[in-house]
Amino acid sequence: MSIDFKRAVDELQEYYILSVKGLLGIFRRPFYGKDFIEQMDYSGVGSLLIVCLVSLFIGMALSLQLAAELSVMGLKMYTGKVVGISIIREIGPVAAGLVFAGRVGAGMASELGLMILGHQVDSLRVFGVDPIKKLVTPRLLSSIVMLPALTIIGDAAALLGAYYIAVFVSNQSSYVYWTSIEHVLTFQNVFSGIAKPFVFGFIISSISCYMGLSTYGGAVGLRRSTTRAVVYSIVMIIIADFVLTRILLYALGFSV
Amino acid sequence: MIFLDDVTFGYGKRPVLQNATLKIAADERVAILGGSGEGKTTILKLVLRLIRPDSGRVSIDGTDITEMAEEELREIRRKFSIVFQEGALFDSLSVKENVAFCLREFSKMTEEQIDAKVRELLRVVGVEAAINLMPDELSGGMHRRVAIARSLAAFEPKMFLYDEATTGLDPVNAERICHLINELCKEGTGLIIVTHKVIDALRVAGRFLFLLNGRIVFDGNKDALLGSDNPAIVEFLNEFRYEVK
Ligand SMILES: Nc1ncnc2c1ncn2[C@@H]1O[C@H](COP(=O)(O)OP(=O)(O)OP(=O)(O)O)[C@@H](O)[C@H]1O
Ligand SMILES: [Mg+2]
Repeated sequence: MSIDFKRAVDELQEYYILSVKGLLGIFRRPFYGKDFIEQMDYSGVGSLLIVCLVSLFIGMALSLQLAAELSVMGLKMYTGKVVGISIIREIGPVAAGLVFAGRVGAGMASELGLMILGHQVDSLRVFGVDPIKKLVTPRLLSSIVMLPALTIIGDAAALLGAYYIAVFVSNQSSYVYWTSIEHVLTFQNVFSGIAKPFVFGFIISSISCYMGLSTYGGAVGLRRSTTRAVVYSIVMIIIADFVLTRILLYALGFSV
Repeated sequence: MIFLDDVTFGYGKRPVLQNATLKIAADERVAILGGSGEGKTTILKLVLRLIRPDSGRVSIDGTDITEMAEEELREIRRKFSIVFQEGALFDSLSVKENVAFCLREFSKMTEEQIDAKVRELLRVVGVEAAINLMPDELSGGMHRRVAIARSLAAFEPKMFLYDEATTGLDPVNAERICHLINELCKEGTGLIIVTHKVIDALRVAGRFLFLLNGRIVFDGNKDALLGSDNPAIVEFLNEFRYEVK
């Protein structure tokens, strides 16, 4: 038990060093622009469809639930408002984050893990190329840039899904729906929705890179690091979401 | 040039190398022999300080690199060219980009110069036709050759390190690779080849080390190796003797 504890502290420290060095790599030469573009393509463009799909259906399900419940109380016209707030502030960022963790996190961990096992990372080091700058920094940066973008697009897809249900299934007025969405798009709401994915993107990519680069022990080791990358990312996103919500509500002057 | 002084190394609690002391001169041609998992690759990794010894010291050309930081090690590592066990080509890059990797990274060559240099290197190792393929489209032998070409592009190495350069190849290809290794290793440069194929070791090396249970149990020339009465070495050589007969 005491040994495990020491190992956990060691690993945490290594993770911390890796993510700090990875972030600092953004400001120090050399820059690997091509790798950055490639990562943006893989993590951002590649995840677009699945984020849209997931968000769309979450928006529809949410709208369905709320319309059913609110119409019992005769408050059907509030569907748009409640849906809008939940999606923009909470569900959109988390849904996009979870999809991103599953797709991109697993991808990064397995790719880097395979590069470790095949001595490709060692080759980089022998050539005098810093693997953190070459491999980690582009991945961190591209996730930090792309996840917010994906979240915004995902939010839009979810709002469209919710619109479809509210207007065509629950027979509400389309005008009322879009006006309530418009009212929901205040600075506070949008800001708290957009701030989160920056943090989530960093969490997912740093955890996944760390897990990938600490792979050892063949195919079983690769399975372990991929699994851990996804599981830790998901758990950390959910926890971070709570913490961020608390901070943002406080900072933006909401009273609970 | 290489000096391992009483080096011990283990992964976790399991020791891999115990109290290894080893001196290799700059122009020596050494073969490290031993069964699978005896720590042959580990020695190469220690020489390049890709791993840090648990105790003991590693020096290259009189410089102690045991505690050196990654940035300082760059200069030291440039003295070597290494071909890893699996070739270790970057599998997201084509053959051409693999060989051009160091040129792009460290030289200011134009695109035409790079292209010419890559073709020249691939011609040297005899796989010019594969220039536009991806690594996973190559056969084992081609893979090793491209890896050798890539390691040549880097810098002018003082010593070549080959980890299992001929393992898994048919006898003809293995011989060709050995021939290539011999040709590349010019006067004054040294080489270390790690292998468990005695016949290939005899083709390129003049000094032989034998690893057993994490210790260097034999260090000597060809005659001493073939005449050794250590039962592990005798058994190791049996297969080779059988082939020769
Ligand atoms: N990253 C690692 N983590 C844990 N153990 C490792 C690691 N790499 C190697 N080992 C262990 O260290 C020992 C020596 O490994 P090494 O790669 O040096 O063997 P080798 O002599 O090169 O074998 P082979 O001929 O199979 O390549 C092996 O028993 C192996 O299980
Ligand atoms: Mg080996």
